[in-house]
Parts: sequence; structure tokens; C-alpha cells
Amino acid sequence: MRLPGYFIVEALRNLFKKRATILYPYRETEKVHLPEGFRGRIEFNREKCIGGQLCSRVCPAKAIEVIEDERGKRPVFLIYRCIYCGQCVEVCPTKAITLSKEFENIALRKEDLVVR
Amino acid sequence: MSFEVPIGPQHPIHVEPLMLRLKVDGELIVDVDVDVSYLHRGIEKGLEVRTYLQGLYLAERICGICNCAHSLCYCLNVEQLLGKEAPPRAKYLRVIVEELSRMHSHLLWLGHYFHTLGFETLFMYFWRDRERVMDMLELITGNRVTTAYNTIGGVRRDITPEAESKLRKALDYLEERMRYYDKVIDSEPTILARTQGVGLLKPEDAIKLGTVGPHLRASGVKHDVRLDDPYSGHDEIPFNVVTWDTCDCYGRVKVRMGEVRECISMIRYALDHLPSGDYRLKIPPFFKAPEGESLSRVEAPRGELVHYSISNGGTNPYRYKVRTPTLANILSVTYMLKSRGDYEVYIADVPPILGGIDPCICCTARVVITDEARKKRRILTLSDLERYSQEKGARRR
Amino acid sequence: MIEKILEALIFPGAIFILAISLFYEWFDRKLYARLQNRVGPHLAGPFGLLQPFADLVKLLSKEDIVPRAADGFLFTLTPILAPTIILFACMFLPISGLSGVISFRGDLIAVMAILSIYTIMVYLAGEGSNNRFASIGATRAALQLIGYEIPLTLALLSVAVAAGSLSLHGIVEAQLRRGFWFIAGLQLIGFAIFVVASQAEMERIPFDIPEAEQEIVAGWEVEYGGRRLALFRLSKDLELVLLSGLGATVFLGGPLGPVIPGLEPLLYTIYFLVKSIIVLAVFTIVRAIFARLRIDQMLSFSWRWLMPPAMILIILTEVIA
Repeated sequence: MRLPGYFIVEALRNLFKKRATILYPYRETEKVHLPEGFRGRIEFNREKCIGGQLCSRVCPAKAIEVIEDERGKRPVFLIYRCIYCGQCVEVCPTKAITLSKEFENIALRKEDLVVR
Repeated sequence: MSFEVPIGPQHPIHVEPLMLRLKVDGELIVDVDVDVSYLHRGIEKGLEVRTYLQGLYLAERICGICNCAHSLCYCLNVEQLLGKEAPPRAKYLRVIVEELSRMHSHLLWLGHYFHTLGFETLFMYFWRDRERVMDMLELITGNRVTTAYNTIGGVRRDITPEAESKLRKALDYLEERMRYYDKVIDSEPTILARTQGVGLLKPEDAIKLGTVGPHLRASGVKHDVRLDDPYSGHDEIPFNVVTWDTCDCYGRVKVRMGEVRECISMIRYALDHLPSGDYRLKIPPFFKAPEGESLSRVEAPRGELVHYSISNGGTNPYRYKVRTPTLANILSVTYMLKSRGDYEVYIADVPPILGGIDPCICCTARVVITDEARKKRRILTLSDLERYSQEKGARRR
Repeated sequence: MIEKILEALIFPGAIFILAISLFYEWFDRKLYARLQNRVGPHLAGPFGLLQPFADLVKLLSKEDIVPRAADGFLFTLTPILAPTIILFACMFLPISGLSGVISFRGDLIAVMAILSIYTIMVYLAGEGSNNRFASIGATRAALQLIGYEIPLTLALLSVAVAAGSLSLHGIVEAQLRRGFWFIAGLQLIGFAIFVVASQAEMERIPFDIPEAEQEIVAGWEVEYGGRRLALFRLSKDLELVLLSGLGATVFLGGPLGPVIPGLEPLLYTIYFLVKSIIVLAVFTIVRAIFARLRIDQMLSFSWRWLMPPAMILIILTEVIA
């Protein structure tokens, strides 16, 4: 008959260890560590865009719309549809799109979730 | 006192909706009925209206936990259609991320399984260690769960030396923790009382019911797609197929823990022998696949995953079919939950047995046809499905 | 007379016991969380001390739904009676003196009888809900009673035999006379049996079979919501006070300790609280390190491993003492 409670040693040891929880978001927000290459919110550099429209055609979630402005065609990114796959980043020939480390993409108005 | 107890569709042990109707006599279960149609999302139709590259991201989201297996299977499928093969470095990198994802899935399952048994402390510990695995996945691929690492023709990123050293440290830590958990599980009488002798499935019955994956290997059958049909450099990377011959829930726990150890050794081997070269073939984002059909198999964390596609020369697949491992394993649940003779099943055994197959219902539901016009519901069996897809393939030709 | 009424209502009576029951629930949750490397309640009040109170207030403010097929009489009666009888039993505990607010010869038997009536209340609550999950939970609770009740009674009775008295006041006096607490010596076995059987009484892991969350979705309390659920949760917290207080009184000497004359009520209360929190800590640690048993395994466990030591203990106590 095995003696029950072998686990008690580890349980009691954990009592005195530091907790594994990070108290996000009310305190300790700074402890959330994101590595380089984390796929967050889209950032768009208007200067580099040449109006290729490849990003809009390749997006799996149809989150990129193409509009016309005084310099030619350019994309409008709907963050509320984005699935953060990064395909538009790969396809863009001038590397005008990058993914930042922002992951708290919620807003009270839809307009705040559109990157122009 | 004999009545029907519904476990589901909403129930604390289910991660996704699943209907199990149990006919009980006191605490003994006498009969059982399964309904898996609550989570049908129309993914196969969605794959038909998207290009191959867009479909990759949809296929990845068939299941949150097995996402790496689905995207890998899809990529292998399309590469087969195009007649291309990924470069050697890409194969090894794919193996690294796939095995990390398998470790993540097994640690999640182990934690969830002990939670259903009532052992919350071990649940928290397993998930704390799973956080290390997720941090590693985030470091290598950029996201914790939907990794989006595989692409048609290779992988999307290379692994940096800094990520490699952090990965090795994490693997050492996890190996030591798994040794400790092994000792705990073997020495804790309450766990042994709840898992040994529960959910018996003899090997002949398992093969007859079509079970796959760790569930089958816990009944002593040595069947693994990585062994039978190596798909990504598995013929070069040495590994053991873990089996256990007790045929019960205890065996399933031991098989999965053994597989985590195997994953660790496979990742170490792959890191040590990583071939140099390109990690990606140059494939344009929009292409027309040549006509034909292709089948790809992958060992997902839950078992054998099969993707089948037919192409008629366009930018979208003509038909895409997914057969997930949980669909194959659900039949054995109905078999294991019925009391026969000496073998008694209680209501309290439903969580260990149902959890033992590692159900991922979101992968499963693809088999209900609701005919709105005629107000009828048809549920297709496995043989019906085979016939249906064969007919459609024959029609196209 | 007025003093007696105030004692019964405020200190160490109803209000005080309700307050410390909420504190005990906080302690239990916090310790359980720290054993699992988590944080536990930390937002409501300093260190989360007001969390159980916040939960209670939230539940009290929710809508009260009575299923149409439920038995109205039982559905209303059981949530009121359950905390009331446990609160009544807590009055027997010697908190601020060597005897409780109520004390008479044989009150240990009265406390044990109230504990059994509580389980009958649980059974009626489950059956009165007219829900199959509740019926299964209620039946499991009644089955569990068959398993743990006799060892629990025998463990407490052994101490009574050693003390030569069936009243809690008498047991405390006996420990005062002997000079050391009952746990030192043969009654250590009784303490172990008491801890295991109390876990079954309070329906906590490894014996929380009647309300197994993962199997039958809250078991016998599945149909109760709002105020009725608040009263059942309060009865669980009061059970924590009662059983840890009982363990502290009977095995650890209750309010006994070095006293400064004049400050006796305060010191007695402090010693009682410290000792019953130690017993509570033992309960929580036991809760954290085991998985849940099945009902047939629980019955065979208690009849194979709890009954024989309990019977041997009471025979030995009778022979030695």
C-alpha cells in the first residue's frame, strides 16, 4: 500500500516560492515580456507604399481595403478583422507594413481600430 | 432509479459542446448516445472559396491546440499537389515546432485531465510548466497558440541562436519536471484508484472501432504515422513509439507523459543536427495548382490527421476534406462507457474516459447535414462520408 | 440576562461567528491558492480579505429562480435551516471562556447529532430540486454519511472517554487538569481520523463527491441560485468554523493557554482562533494534495481504513484510561 500524500512536500515547498502569476493588468503590467518578432498590431508606413495591392489580395480575413487618394491606391487596415498572420508583411515588395508589439487591440469605437 | 443523464452540450468537463446522453441505473451506466454536431463551422466550404495561401490560415484555425498539425498537413498536401518538397532545413524546423506544439498539447491535456479528476493542484502545476512551452513557441514563431509557422514550401522564419539557447534551457527544466510528475502519478493512491481499470479497451476492439493516436497506443498497438509514413524528416530523427499495455486510463496518462519525453529528445536531436541552407522555397502567393488529388497524413497530438484535396487547375481547391483524430476516437467512447458483465462504469468515470481520448470537438463536427427545405436532419456515418467524397471525386473526373 | 442575550447575539455569538466564518473562507482560499503557486483573492479589500463578503453580497443580490417542478416547501426550508442549525451548533464552542454560550452535560452528542441533521438537510435539498443531477448528488451525500459518520463519532467519543465527560466544557476542563492537550498521546490517531472524516463531512476534496463540479455540475445545489445559494455557501463556511473549532477544542485544548488574570476573555479567544486556524490549515493542505475518489471507493476506503483504527482506539482508550 503506497503511503498517500507524497505530493505534500512539493505542495508545501511551493507555498514559500514566489507566485507564478503576473498581476496583469491592474499591477505589474511591465512584467509582461514580449519577444522580438511578436505579431501584434499592424503599422503602416505611407511613404513606402507604391499601391501594389498585393496585401489586399492575399489577406485571409479580408481585413485590408484599397482606397484611392491623391498619391494613388493605398490600403486601409481593419484591425477588428485582422488575424495577425503576417502574410501582408511578407508579400509587400517595399516592406511598408510592419507588425508592432501591441496586443491590447480593443476600443469603444470601430474608428479606433482602423489604421490608415 | 433508471433515467437519462445528459452530459452536455454545456458541462464543466467539456471544453467544447458535445452531447453525451447516458442511461443510468443508480450510478452504473447502461447505455450511451453521442452527438458531436454542435460545433460545425463550415470550414471545408470556407476552404473552397479561398486561395491556397489564404486557406492555410483557415486550416490552421480548425483547432486551437492542434493548429501546428493542421497547418503542417495542409502544407504537405499542397506541396504534394505542386510536386515540390520542402528543403531539409525546413523539415527539421518543422519538426521542432511540431514537437513543441505536441508537448504543449499533452501538458494541457494532463492538466485538464487531473482537473476533471479533482486534483486541482497538479492541474495548476502542469499549466505553469506549459507556460514555459508557450513562451518558447512565442519566441520562435511570434505567437503563443496560432503559430502560423508553416507555409507552402517551408517555414516562415528561421531560428536565431539566442532562441536556440533559451529553448535548450527550457527543455532541461521540462525534462526534470516530467520526471517528478511521473513519480507523483505513480505514488498517489487516489490517482491510481481513479485511473487504473477504468475505461478498458482491448487492442482488437480498438482496431475494430478505428481508434488512433495515444489512445490506441495505450492499448498496446504500435501505430504511429511518424513511424509508418515519415513526412518531415522523421526517418532521420530517431524516436521511440511509446506504448503501454494496460488498456486503461492509466495507460493513456503514461503514454502521453512518455511522448512528452520523446518530444524533448527529438527537439534536442533536431537542434543538434540542423542542416544548413534555405528554410523556404520561392513560391508565389497566387498560383494555379495542377489538376489532381492528394492525401497527406500527420501525427497530430491526438492521433492520425488526414487531409484530402482535389484540384481542378484553379487558384482554389475544388474540394477539401479533413478527417480529424477525435472523430475516429469518439466511437470508442460509446463502447467504453457501456457496462458489460463484470466491467462496471459509473457516472464518476465519465470524465476520465471521455478525457482519456483527448477530445477536440472543434476538429470533429463536420458530419451533420440539416436539410432546411425538407426539414430533415441526416447524420452521416464514417462509411457514408467515404462514399460521399468518393462520389464527388468521381463526378469531377 | 441582558448580558447572556448580548453574548449570544454579538460576541462570541452570531455576529462574531459569521464574521470569522468569512475570514476562515478567505484563509482557506488563500492558502489553497498559495499551495498551487497562485495568488488567491487579492483585489477586494486589503489582501482580498473582503472577498468572501463580496461574494456573499453579490449572491444575495441575484434573481431568485424557483423551478416549477421543485418542491416549494423543501426548496425554501433547507437553505434557511442549514446555516441556522450549524450556527446553533457553533454556540457550543468554548471561544471566550472554558464553556460556550450554551453548555450542558452531553452537548458533544448534541453537536454530533446536528452534524448528521445537516447531511439530512443536504439530502432533502437535493431531492427537493427535482433535477437528476441534484438527485444523484443527494444520494451520494447520503451514501457518504454511511461511510464517515461512525469513525467521526468514535474518534470524538474516545476523547470523551479519556476525559470522563460528554460535554465540551468537561473535555476542556480535563485537558486543563491533565496539563497537556489530548493530541499528545493515543488521541493522535483520533485526530487523524477526525481530519479525514471531517473532510468527508464538509464535502471537500478528496471527498467532494456529492457536489463534484466536473461530473454532475454542482450536485445537490445545482438548482439553487441567488439568496438560497448564498445561504448554502454560508452554511459551508460555518461548517468550517464548527469542525475546526471542534477539532481545536477536543484535541488541542481549545481556549487553554498561559493567561494573564483580567484579560482572560481576550486571550482565550485569541488562543482558540489560533488553534482552530491551525486545524483549518491542515484541512486545506489535505484538500490540495489529493484527487477526488469515486463513491464506491470512498465507502470501501472508510470501512477498511477508518473504521478499524477508530474501534481499536476506543477500546484502547477505555482500557488504558
